[in-house]
Amino acid sequence: MKKKKRWVGMIVMALTILFFYLPIIFMIAFSFNESKSLTHFDGFSLKWYKKMFNDSAMMESLYTTILVAVIATVVSTVVGTISAIGLSKSKKVVREAVTQLNDFPIMNPEIVTAIGLMLFFITLGIERGLMTMILAHIAFCIPYVILSVMPKIRSLDPNIAEAAMDLGATPWQALTKVIVPQIKVGILSGALIAFTMSFDDFIISYFVTGRGVKNLSIMVYTMSKRVNPSINAISTLVVVSITIGLIVVNVIPIIKEKKLRKKALEGQI
Amino acid sequence: MEEKKLIQFRNIVMNFDDNQLVLKGINLDINENEFVTLLGPSGCGKTTLLRILGGFLEPTEGTVIFDGEDITKLPPHKRELNTVFQKYALFPHMNVYQNIAFGLKIKKMSADVIEQKVMKMLKLIGLEGYENKNVTLLSGGQQQRVAIARALVNEPKVLLLDEPLGALDLKLRKEMQYELKRIQQEVGITFIFVTHDQEEALTMSDKIVIMKDGEIQQIGTPQDIYNEPINRYVADFVGESNIISGRMPEDYKVVFDDTTFECVDHDFDPNEPVDIIIRPEDIDIVKPGEGKLTGEVLSVLFKGMHYEVVVETVPGTSVTVNMRVIKNNEVTSGDGKEKISANDFFVDIEDVKLLDDKEIIARADAQAWLPDKDEYISINKIEYDIKEEIGEYPVTFFTSSGTMIQKSIYVVNQPFVKNVKANEAVSAFNFFKTVDELRESVALDTDLKTWANAQGWKISDENESVDISVDYDFDPDEIKEGVYKVTFWTTGREFKIRTTDYVEEGIEVGLDFFPEDIHVMKKMEG
Amino acid sequence: MKKFSHLAIPYIVWSLIMLLLPMLLLVLYAFTETGNDIVTFSFTLKYFKKFFTDPDFLLVLWRSLKIAFKTTVICIFLAYPVAYFIANSSDKLRNILVLAITLPMWINMLVRTYAWIGLLSDGGILQRLLEMLGFGTHKLLYTEGAVLLGMVYNFIPFMILQINTSLCKMDKSLKEASFDLGANRVQTFFKVTLPLSLPGVVSGISLVFLPAVSSFFIPKLLGGGQYFLIGNIIENQFITVGEWNFGSAISMIMAVIMMCSMYLVRRIEDRVSGNKKEETARK
Repeated sequence: MKKKKRWVGMIVMALTILFFYLPIIFMIAFSFNESKSLTHFDGFSLKWYKKMFNDSAMMESLYTTILVAVIATVVSTVVGTISAIGLSKSKKVVREAVTQLNDFPIMNPEIVTAIGLMLFFITLGIERGLMTMILAHIAFCIPYVILSVMPKIRSLDPNIAEAAMDLGATPWQALTKVIVPQIKVGILSGALIAFTMSFDDFIISYFVTGRGVKNLSIMVYTMSKRVNPSINAISTLVVVSITIGLIVVNVIPIIKEKKLRKKALEGQI
Repeated sequence: MEEKKLIQFRNIVMNFDDNQLVLKGINLDINENEFVTLLGPSGCGKTTLLRILGGFLEPTEGTVIFDGEDITKLPPHKRELNTVFQKYALFPHMNVYQNIAFGLKIKKMSADVIEQKVMKMLKLIGLEGYENKNVTLLSGGQQQRVAIARALVNEPKVLLLDEPLGALDLKLRKEMQYELKRIQQEVGITFIFVTHDQEEALTMSDKIVIMKDGEIQQIGTPQDIYNEPINRYVADFVGESNIISGRMPEDYKVVFDDTTFECVDHDFDPNEPVDIIIRPEDIDIVKPGEGKLTGEVLSVLFKGMHYEVVVETVPGTSVTVNMRVIKNNEVTSGDGKEKISANDFFVDIEDVKLLDDKEIIARADAQAWLPDKDEYISINKIEYDIKEEIGEYPVTFFTSSGTMIQKSIYVVNQPFVKNVKANEAVSAFNFFKTVDELRESVALDTDLKTWANAQGWKISDENESVDISVDYDFDPDEIKEGVYKVTFWTTGREFKIRTTDYVEEGIEVGLDFFPEDIHVMKKMEG
Repeated sequence: MKKFSHLAIPYIVWSLIMLLLPMLLLVLYAFTETGNDIVTFSFTLKYFKKFFTDPDFLLVLWRSLKIAFKTTVICIFLAYPVAYFIANSSDKLRNILVLAITLPMWINMLVRTYAWIGLLSDGGILQRLLEMLGFGTHKLLYTEGAVLLGMVYNFIPFMILQINTSLCKMDKSLKEASFDLGANRVQTFFKVTLPLSLPGVVSGISLVFLPAVSSFFIPKLLGGGQYFLIGNIIENQFITVGEWNFGSAISMIMAVIMMCSMYLVRRIEDRVSGNKKEETARK
């Protein structure tokens, strides 16, 4: 009876996975289509990839996306980590107030955050473009970094910095040699979240951009009315690189662990 | 009392996925209305055995028979037994009443019967009026009681308790021990109790099962287990004891510390090595010469109800060496920027082959430093020429910038002190130290042992080391150059005695005990 | 230690400017009428009046809430069995499955939604599959069904992960206790597992319902512009019409509705998991 139930579960699971991956597989398949059709596969070709590489608007949007994501990730990770450490030592009132503010972009519908930022730039007379997009991305990425670093700081021994300084470390050394290594996992996952949030963002970028600066999402959105298999091609490119990245990130620790275990075993013998 | 076998474990083997043998063939019978305790350290397999009985694990091999029926493969909800879980596992989304009523509601009993039964249980556990309380807001002891009530209300034939008192503080634990025993006597069913606390087991049980590494060591009443432990492990785990190695030359005779004693044990092979235990409360302190043993009172500790006295009957082993305190042993480099220091040292002729650069630096305590910056620098070269012959050999230590110091290694034939009666030997070497080194030592006893290279070991097995202590009669803060005696010694045969009479530390006393107080056990394998 | 607290000062200033000020501006715009410059703003409620007296706008609001509700219900019923299966898998399989669920979330929502266009379009795979199975020819793309599908597809992973987390966090011995007290698998599920996993469902709801209400590119891509939701109206006000004040007012209305529904959901969550929270607080 137990076995049978497991089978039902397996089928449900398989269908779910199929549901999740069907559009992605479809997209990858049709990026290699000979014709422009999104319904009939008329033979294999790489012409949409060629078109994509020759389409300067598309390449520019890819470049914009990566540039914005990298800058936003680096800045928000550094600022977020430092601020989280600072906040953990701040007065409770300050900490709670900032946490409340941080919740704005996380809890609010993205469109509200987007409009707020747009009005902000317009009111201050800042011309919208690449710069405003980067600023906006930093603004909504930092809260996620703080959110993932904060619990790690909380779980630290509160006396650990004092202990380091008691043993002769300067505050800076205490920070970089003792605190940061211990919250590394939180910082890394914060950076990862920041990068994907920025890389995938559409709504906020859409409202704060200007002067024809487009990231990948905006480009897909504005092109979606016309059939353009180059979108499939560039999406495939992105999907494949993200998958490779994720596999590397997930597999490296496993390989490392296996090696360590092997070493330990050899050591025992 | 008529005893009926309720539960029978037949050759239970449990092998987890990672090839860990957790249970190695357990055979155990449990009678009706017994309070049985499975006692052992964590990882001995006691909880696994309980979970097999509860139906949460299926044994790799063997059968579980309950009331004459094979229940090995029966799912937990069809078994006539209930469990009190380690952390109680109360349902957090239900109140006290709903938790206790859970099992009855499952059985679709009518609401008034349920209420009657739950109220009866609340009375039994002394939590009347708590029925609408949130279980997560109860204290540990109260949660514990609710968990017991929730299990007992189903009127099981057996109640399984998995370390239920582990999460409580000491006082509450004592209270719950009596409470549990009372409840068991009142409801009159079998309780199977898992714990690692020997005192808990002795207080509550009708029968104790002592487990180690997936095997049963001994089954018996608390009295049996305490008075007649089957081996050293059981004796050590249950209660405090003096455990001594000895041998049995013949029946009713046992030998330890070169003395023959009468005892009541028999049926050992002639001259078989055995472990002997004498419980601390079975030894009487008498006048010197009047007892079976004589010794010196080493310490007396007041323990509230009694004194715990330690008497040494066989003196330990000791070695006295000379410590030569010298004035200065440092050399300053030509430019005055570097200093280097080292000491002469003695080494046993047999240990010469063990010497290497690192060992020589350590034994000579060679150090180099920059006096201006107060920073240590490394000794990067040493030169020496040493033979396995008695004599004095030069050794030179260098820093990287060439500052050097020359010292001597004395190869000697150091005799060690043997104490055959106590089966141990001790050795130590004369050594050189400066006034400053002595004054700066923060852990002098440890340093003295290191400097003198003092070691103690069992004669029967040279790899088994013996703890040594150190004695000296100088004041390290006031020390001047000269020669001082330092003694390294071991403790001898010590007996722990529990008595209500006060004795003075340092006096000589006799120790007396009856032949039946000596309990002889087979040596454990491995 | 005071030195470390100074580290937060720049961010405090930044968050006041970049997080708080924009929200204040949004409120300001919603309640004012544009004059010639910033100084000549004047207070007005006319945009709120405009929204609440125009049946077209109210219809769109109603439609948005309805479709978000449908999405949420579908997500709960599809996600629960999947999450249950994942939570009861071996550690290794569970990690793989969680990764399999998360992986698509790393890919741009827009790209994923765009991919559905081809699948759903006339003459596409799904239409032909339905024909083959004898369901007749149906228009799939640019229908309410397509929008619903897109929303479920985009938001269901959140629901699965939330429920899975709450199921995994559950103390295993609670289930054992239930078996021990005589409950079989079905009884244990309904009396113990389900009630204890409700907090996960509730937080899943907030992660599905809220973005579904405000979503505007899913209806645009899969609804083909004929299926207007409140997000689309806001977008139009800002991007095409240029009525920032009105757009701000609608955004505010939406934000308030969401805050209210969040509050409601939290209240339910508190009632469901009140015990649990106290427990963790005590630890």
